[in-house]
Amino acid sequence: MNRNLQLVWNGFIPENPIFRLALSLCPAVAVTTSVKNGLMLGIAVLFVQVMSSCTASLFKSVIHPRIRIPAYVIIIATWVSVIDMILPVVSPAVYNEIKLFIALIVVFAIIISRMELFASKEPILPTFFDGVGMGIGFLFGLCLTAAIRELFGSGQLFGFDVLGFKPLLIMILPAGGFFVIGFIMATFNWIEYMRTGKLPRAAGGH
Amino acid sequence: MKDIVKITASLTGICIAAAIILGVVFANTERARKQTEEKMTEETIQGLLGFGHGKKAPEDLKVFPVHRYVLNDASGATLLGYVLPLKEKGYVLGEIDLSGKPGKVLPLTVEPAALADASKRDAAVKAALPKGYKATYASTVYIADLGGKRLGYVVPGVTQGFKTFIQLMVSLDPKFTVTGVAIIESKEDPGLGAEIQQDFFRNQFVGKTQDVLKNLKVVKEPLPEDYLPALEPEKAKRLGGLGPDKIKEIKKKHLKDDIYALTGATISSRAVTNGVKDTVRKFVYRIEILSDAVKQQNIQVAF
Repeated sequence: MNRNLQLVWNGFIPENPIFRLALSLCPAVAVTTSVKNGLMLGIAVLFVQVMSSCTASLFKSVIHPRIRIPAYVIIIATWVSVIDMILPVVSPAVYNEIKLFIALIVVFAIIISRMELFASKEPILPTFFDGVGMGIGFLFGLCLTAAIRELFGSGQLFGFDVLGFKPLLIMILPAGGFFVIGFIMATFNWIEYMRTGKLPRAAGGH
Repeated sequence: MKDIVKITASLTGICIAAAIILGVVFANTERARKQTEEKMTEETIQGLLGFGHGKKAPEDLKVFPVHRYVLNDASGATLLGYVLPLKEKGYVLGEIDLSGKPGKVLPLTVEPAALADASKRDAAVKAALPKGYKATYASTVYIADLGGKRLGYVVPGVTQGFKTFIQLMVSLDPKFTVTGVAIIESKEDPGLGAEIQQDFFRNQFVGKTQDVLKNLKVVKEPLPEDYLPALEPEKAKRLGGLGPDKIKEIKKKHLKDDIYALTGATISSRAVTNGVKDTVRKFVYRIEILSDAVKQQNIQVAF
């Protein structure tokens, strides 16, 4: 497979930010109460991830290695602020839906970790595809978690009534988020174990 | 030593570059953002008055903004100043002291379009006042007339939410019964507190009279099954549900009910309820004083 495609696939499943790297779990638990929320935040993260990674990759020779973390934080914050200012002008309707999440993105561990681990070493093209892959992986993780939580917690999908009743209210509460993410993570590990016969290497983050 | 200079220079450079980018973007988007915001406020007001959702507002609907200023005269005494539109063209600034006694009426030279802009309005108010006065903008209420008759009021309010402030707007009919609540801005948690935006929560306030509002509480009980479709008429219509008569009947039955808290968001529910109660209480107090003052001073106001 082409390396660029490989990078996108890598972020999607083998190194999925939520289920594999276990990064940015905090927002993942907080906003995945409905698929719509998950999708909106996923799109916002995808955009910021790609832009920030590409910027970091472009200026990696200028940024002194000792101050790379503050520099990355400034880059992320700049992109987030730019989106926060441009989006209400370009599309007020979308901004109204998404504005709660935009400010949250500054502190996402996944974005800064990809800049540190990948963008700071690689040229811009692979960085772009890595950003896309990680963004899609995060979006996928949020949507999958949100779909399960919304279906069981409020009996709906995308805001439409599917079940007509609420089977498990706990799913919509924060505790339910941990349950669901834990179960999906376990499923991922189990599939990996069945396929390769090896336990996946440990991952951790916050 | 050389390293520290390099690092400092590099970090300063990054910060300056970021600041320049943000500055340029801000300068280019600020005006458009303000315009969208103004348009959205207008839409919200019309929606609260019952003309949203594709229903066009009639020609003779007139919405008059009334701006309230807190004035400090030279001796430091506090007064209130209301920017009032006149029946003929123009505006005046009516002074009312804190005990409710009307004071001077000062002419205000300002174009209607300039009044909508906060800084131009502040300047106009300042120019109208005698020397030594200080004016601070407090709030704006909207008085709506339909065909020369009072249709209602739209009143903005602020309340302490779960994390930070919730800005809301309450519309009232001439008898100060709530006809609608809109959440303008909130930073409640998505999926929990943010549900205050939902129709079935906001519509619980509709129809509450002043007496009901006074003792309104939040109860941690599930929403009664028959009440829900009446609170979401749009959704109920899609599912082919209740007729308008039936909705009216259900609403009447639950009129004296307390507000049913949102699941997992009791604090936000309570915040909105208190916000609505406070907003209405303060507004009713102020509008009574204001209309008394207008009558006493014989100001020919437009509304």
